[in-house]
This record gives sequence, structure tokens and C-alpha cells, in this order.
Amino acid sequence: MYGYYDPPFSVEEEGISISVERTGDKWTYRRISGTDSVEKLILGDRKRIIINPVEPLNTPKEITPNLLIEFEKTLLLAGGEKKQIFLTFPVEIGVFISDHGNKNPQLIDVLSLVRQKFTLYGEVSNGVVCKHWKSGLHSVSPSLNPLQEGIMELTLRNTSSDWASISKAVFSAYGMKLYYDGDVFMKARMDILNRNTAETGFEIQPINGEVGYLVKDQKIRKEAFGVYGLRKLGFVPLKFYMGWGF
Amino acid sequence: MTLLDINFLDHAMYTTSKGPVTPGDLIKFVIILSFSVIFFRVLSIYLRRILKDRVSKDVGETILKVVHYGALVLIFISILPLIGLDPSGLLLAGGVAGIVIGFASQNIVGNLVSGCFLMFERPIKIGDQVEVNGIAGYVTDIRIISTLIRTYDGLLVRIPNQQVFTTNITNIVGHPVRRFEYTIRIRYSDDASAAIWLIRDLIDQEPFALLSPSPSVFVNELGESSVNITVRIWAPVSEWFGIKTRLLWNIKKTLEENGIEIPYPQRVLHIKSEPEKKQQVIEELNQNKLEETEPVLNFEERVLN
Repeated sequence: MYGYYDPPFSVEEEGISISVERTGDKWTYRRISGTDSVEKLILGDRKRIIINPVEPLNTPKEITPNLLIEFEKTLLLAGGEKKQIFLTFPVEIGVFISDHGNKNPQLIDVLSLVRQKFTLYGEVSNGVVCKHWKSGLHSVSPSLNPLQEGIMELTLRNTSSDWASISKAVFSAYGMKLYYDGDVFMKARMDILNRNTAETGFEIQPINGEVGYLVKDQKIRKEAFGVYGLRKLGFVPLKFYMGWGF
Repeated sequence: MTLLDINFLDHAMYTTSKGPVTPGDLIKFVIILSFSVIFFRVLSIYLRRILKDRVSKDVGETILKVVHYGALVLIFISILPLIGLDPSGLLLAGGVAGIVIGFASQNIVGNLVSGCFLMFERPIKIGDQVEVNGIAGYVTDIRIISTLIRTYDGLLVRIPNQQVFTTNITNIVGHPVRRFEYTIRIRYSDDASAAIWLIRDLIDQEPFALLSPSPSVFVNELGESSVNITVRIWAPVSEWFGIKTRLLWNIKKTLEENGIEIPYPQRVLHIKSEPEKKQQVIEELNQNKLEETEPVLNFEERVLN
């Protein structure tokens, strides 16, 4: 389903139907998924529709930019060690409209096929509300449904001298960079600073140095337009400081 | 020399230690001050637009007020020499004037000082839902003298800052999450464990019912007419009211669909059947009769004897 479409078009997969049809001198965008349906009018010609995975923090309502991934099993990492693991994360499907040069993409619709749940990270008085996701720990990249889940390659680095017991990681959507091609991919890191604090962030530089693409496992993935990436950022930090344990 | 030769603007109105002050100086003072007020008002509008998407509304408004009033005070002080006033003299005069003004306008100064504390201590912010002195609603603005609150039914209430600062403030959205509670009553004949399981399942399906702090559902009381189940749920402050109203009705519907009913207040009356009642009445009558005739019989017995 992910890709670039020139209207008129119609695409259907996993119970989701997306189409743009001409009605008189206007275009009509229509999306049906289950009992949910959206219809919007588009004024203007020579527009392109882009469907790609976006940060999983827009549905059912955008109330937080933070994603908490809870590990199915607690992970123990020795002091000074650096390890790489694969996690899963929820995917939302974003529909954008843009000019033909893919300039000025504008989000017109976003939907999700996975269970939505929120949680609090930290204390009631000053904690942070996060979208919650429970993930298994994988040593190799798992095979997943790209409309529902993505793969996160997480590099864990214990900069302290003590063992670290890790059961969750929190990420800020402002730093997220999603790549897709058959699967949905994200590359993140988590630096354990001491017994109780850690810092998480994302790799925003593509590995081969070519902007907009990521080569990984002999696979070229395309960079997705993000909802948070499109916003003009003021003083928003791209990293997340985990001060209430991990 | 005629009257027309006199330049009115150069005519000394009064003389100070800095020299004579002419109407021209006074006009300059007024023009610069007016221009500054207009300029900083326009600048505030421009800055408000720039800051709108970059910082939260309350932070933006505080920055704007500090810039606006700070710049005006600086300009006012810097142009005082035009009207023959020495700003350094103000420091000395300010002490005496401050006391005089303080007494004369105690309430205004009190509100002003409270307003400054409200802006910097920030117990409430613009956009917060608060309850101050029995008035509940959204804070729409914190001004230098007063705070504006839009009540839930859309009324605008202006509260002097001194009152806001010295009374108890309940900030409904002061923390990121809050808890709400229901008491669900079921019949004694219903399975409380099944009801708890159904309620937990509904909470699990609700996205904004937080996983942590975890919700709790338990039998809290064995009431006169019902078994009382307490449901406690944590939710983000922006969403709690929506979930509270939605989930309560869903719980009621789901319990009823599964044969668990919410009972009306009831009292059990034990009513005996008619034959039993008649027999009881006859037995009571016989007993009374026996008690009444017993002394007579005793009398006859005594006569016969």
C-alpha cells in the first residue's frame, strides 16, 4: 500500500480502501477502514498522494509525542557493554498530498490498525504520558506486517560500570526517522548513563550518506515523510531523557 | 518685535536644574512615548504570531508582557530628561513617592505585586482549568492587575490578582494524569467476579485508561441492597472527563448484556400465607381465653369444694 500515487487511483489492502476520484472539477479523497470512513475534497490539479508509515503517535488523538516500548522480558546489560537488539513498534499509516516534486507535503489522513493504549512514565506529579507498546526482544530482524508493525534496531550502550536491568525505553517522536520498503524500519540508540537514567535518540543520518535513503542488509529503504518532522520545531529536544528508570 | 515673532515652541514653560523646559520638549516627550506604545503594541502582535507555534501560550504571553512593559519602562525613564526630570533623582524621590503611592493605591499595588508573583511563580498558567474562590473554569489571561477566567458555562470572570494569590487555588490540570472513580452496584445473586472481569476488559479496551498507574476494580462494600464494586481509573488530564462519561454507560450496558443487573434499593419482607395466619390467630385466641377463664374455674372449684 505504501508508495506514491497520481490521481485518479484506488488501492485496497487489509480492509483499508483508499481512493482519489474526480467529481466534477474537484477531486474526492475517500478512505474506508472497518466502520471508520473519511471523505475530503481536494481543490487543485497535478497533485500527488503519498501513503507511507508515520510516527505511531497520532491516533486515536495526538496527546503526547512520546512512545514507551515495554520489553516482554527484562534485559541485563553488563557495564561498559554495547549490544544491538531488534524490537517492534506500532505503525500508523499517513496519507499526504504534495506537489509533483514532492514539495510541501501536507498530512490529510492518518489511521492505525493496532491496539492503542497509553501509560504514564514517571511520577503522577511530574511524569510524562506516553503511547504504550509491548515488544518482544529479537536478535535478528523479525518479519512483520508493515501496515501494523515496524522493526526498530536498537543499540544499547551501558556507559556506567554497573549492570543495567532494562525493561522499557521511551522515545520522542520529534527525532524519529522511519524508512520503508516491504517493511518499516527505524534505527535508534539508548545510552545508559547510570543506575536510573538513560538517554534515547534516533539515527538521523542515513548509513550510505545519501539523503532520503537507508541501506541496511543489502536493502535500500526509502525515507518516510513524518508528521512530527514536517512541523517547524521551536525548542523541542530530539532526544528523550529517561530520568525515572528503565 | 511682534507677537508672531515669538516661537511658541521655544518658550520656556518652567526651569529645572537641567535647564528650561519648552512646549516643544513636552510635545517631543508625548510623541516619543505615544510612538513607543504603538510600536511595542505592533511588535507584540508580530511576536505573538512568531511564538504561537514555537512555545506554549502561557510562556509566550509571559515573554510578551516582560518585553512589552520592560521596554516601555526603559523608554519612559530614558526620555524623562526631556521634561526636565533626572532619572537618577527618581531613585531618591522614588523612595518617598513609593510610600505615598503605596498608601494611596494599596489595592492596586497589591494586585500588581501579586500579578508579578503569579507570572513568575506560575501556580496557574493560561489555558489551565482551575478553581479559585469557588469559581471554576479556564484561565484565559493573567494580566498585571487581574486574572481572567472563562467559566465552563462561558462567562468571563475577572478576579483581582491579590485574591487569586491569597486564596486556595485548585489546578485541575496541574498534573499530567488524574484519577476518577465509580461505584457499581450489583445484586447479591450476581457473580461479582464475573462483573469485575467484564469491567476490567472494558477498561483494557479504552485507549486513554492508563496502564500505569494501573486501574483497580474490587468489591468495596456489602451494602443493604447491593454488592458495591469500586472502579478506579487513571487517565490523562485532557481526556479524563470524556472517558468517565463514555465508560460508565459502557459498563452499564455490558453488565446488563451479561445478565448482571444494577438493583434498586430493596427491603425483604417475609409475609406468611393465609391458612398459617388463621391457625396462628386461633391459637392466640385460645390462649387468651384460657388465661381469662382460668381464675373463674378456680373460683368454681373453690365453691364446689
